[in-house]
Amino acid sequence: MATVQLNNIKKVYPFISGEQKSKKKKNDENKPEKKKSNLQITDEGVVAVQEFSLDIADKEFIVLVGPSGCGKSTTLRMVAGLEEISDGELVIDGKVMNDVAPKDRDIAMVFQNYALYPHMSVYENMAFSLKLRKEPKDVIDKKVREAAEILSITQYLERKPKALSGGQRQRVAIGRAIVRDPKVMLMDEPLSNLDAKLRNEMRAEIIKLRQRINTTFMYVTHDQTEAMTLGDRIVIMKDGYIQQIGTPQEVFNHPSNLFVAGFIGMPVMNFFDADLKREGDKYYVEVGGLKVELSKEKEARLLAKDVQSQPVTLGVRPEHTDVAEKGISARVEVAEMMGSSVHLHVNASGRDVIIIVPTVEMEDSYNIGDTVKFTFDGKVAHIFSKETDLNLEF
Amino acid sequence: MKNISSAAVGGKAGSNKMHNTIVYVKQHWQLYALFMLPAVLLTVVFRYIPMGGIMIAFTEYNPIKGILGSEWIGFQNFTRFLSSPDFLRYLVNTLKLSVYGLLWGFPAPILLAFLLNRILSSKTKQKIQLVLYMPNFISVIVLCGIVRILLSPTGMVNSLLGTDINFMTMPEAFRTIYIASGIWQGAGWASIIYTAALSNASKELKEAAVIDGANIIQQIKAVEWPVIKDTVLIQFIMSVGNIMSVGFEKAYALQTDLNLNTSEIIATYVYKKGLLDGDYGFSTAVGLFNTVINVILLISMNALVKRMNEGKGI
Repeated sequence: MATVQLNNIKKVYPFISGEQKSKKKKNDENKPEKKKSNLQITDEGVVAVQEFSLDIADKEFIVLVGPSGCGKSTTLRMVAGLEEISDGELVIDGKVMNDVAPKDRDIAMVFQNYALYPHMSVYENMAFSLKLRKEPKDVIDKKVREAAEILSITQYLERKPKALSGGQRQRVAIGRAIVRDPKVMLMDEPLSNLDAKLRNEMRAEIIKLRQRINTTFMYVTHDQTEAMTLGDRIVIMKDGYIQQIGTPQEVFNHPSNLFVAGFIGMPVMNFFDADLKREGDKYYVEVGGLKVELSKEKEARLLAKDVQSQPVTLGVRPEHTDVAEKGISARVEVAEMMGSSVHLHVNASGRDVIIIVPTVEMEDSYNIGDTVKFTFDGKVAHIFSKETDLNLEF
Repeated sequence: MKNISSAAVGGKAGSNKMHNTIVYVKQHWQLYALFMLPAVLLTVVFRYIPMGGIMIAFTEYNPIKGILGSEWIGFQNFTRFLSSPDFLRYLVNTLKLSVYGLLWGFPAPILLAFLLNRILSSKTKQKIQLVLYMPNFISVIVLCGIVRILLSPTGMVNSLLGTDINFMTMPEAFRTIYIASGIWQGAGWASIIYTAALSNASKELKEAAVIDGANIIQQIKAVEWPVIKDTVLIQFIMSVGNIMSVGFEKAYALQTDLNLNTSEIIATYVYKKGLLDGDYGFSTAVGLFNTVINVILLISMNALVKRMNEGKGI
């Protein structure tokens, strides 16, 4: 139980001599910075994380989410002490931890591949860190059995990790972390190695566990469903930068930019080339012959920022689109029956669009090649700048 | 119940895989036979056929009469060696050189591998490995020449110590010189197998140990040692099996008339008797005795290790 503050954290992997020479040969003097895939290469080296500032409250569950290589695991590893912090300040429970050894940070970490000692039994694995701390045997035994009880692994205490299933191993890994009663619990994609069904089960287990052990959590995942269901707040990252920090509802309803809008939500948000029209105090979006007035709240926010008429990228979530008699015309390419709804993959003016139609509202079945018309409400339209990709409302 | 069934499924999958392999080998046996033929031929020609020469040990061997034409004298050569006043000295010298060599020399490459595994920069690691492996490619005779020069009364060691001791004439220094130079020459090369085994150690597990608060020794004990334990055991059994097989070359090349008391071992004795004195039958008997002791040690050590290591051995 502790607060965690990350103040302007930066992580640079310095060049080793050969790399720097070859980089210098290749780079022009006028191009001090080069971007290769999603890594930023500067004169200092490869920048994995930068300008990372975050205040985590006591007992808060923070989820770092983003695509591979965005720097989320690196950030977690810096908090754990497994990576050196190149710049910035890490404060745990009021103490600067930049140069403190991992064992002295009072943290515990759960790894993606469980990281269980294969030659030790489940009991020994869970007791290992306590033994190293030279805690009395009866205390170790009590803590291990309590943790095993919480995680329902008491019957496996004498087994070796190889005799356990993936889910059981992950429980042991979590158990090993909670026996330490850490101030901060770090989890690096702990469910990634499990199959979909087990992942759902374990996700629910983690939610229950969180209520029982009552500590501060930092959880890394690339799965936005995990992020949305587990986190009190979500930190969305891309290319080493924070894109948005907010509650699951905030990032879903008010994405700060095009990346967040596309990353959060399943199926992904539909994007259209549209025109934002300002007529006095009213705002409209025009797309595919459809003119939709934005909601009062949106208009107020746009007015406050004095946004003028301009071409924009319009984002509408598939679940917020409605098949209607009038609207944007599109051709059905695929119709996926999902049970309670049908996902229509349609082509509207060269853009791939997904429309979710609840089966209870369906009058007819949809066939490939059918033409449908769809519309959306002004309160669910997200308006992004064509130039900056930022949400024009914020 | 779930685990039992999954284990059963695993066992079934394993036996299916084995069955498929057997079927595949049966279908393509000609190919496998072709691959194996050179190895089998070389083994038979150079390993098994020469074993016939062991008969020399039981004869008064005369090269003109040949192995079968020489007079059969049974175990006379063996009794002659075992009753010789110098037998015990040669045996003790051989055993001391081997056992001390094993005690000092066997852990050295393992420690070296642990140290190499701690180097994070792969380029630095490669450079250090190169330097460590190089002595292995120096011939034994050249190595002995270097040692003799370094340890001569006017050599570098005496210059550093400010003395003029002739180490090569000191019987008590022979074993130290022999073993230390052996470690210098061979430890780097021998560490390859352990370094390779250590590359299987999980990085995450090491990090987990760091977070758990393990120091370097505890990390080695909890993460790295279990990974190389089986390799170490097999290497140990093999080394014990070779305990009497001290090559004659190095001992002979480091031998002087004044250190014979500790430097004369069974291998140098066999060389002198067999090739210098031409007493082939006796020399073969001594060599055979040496080999039999080796085989006994190998079998007993393997049995001992199996008992201590959950049935795992060679």
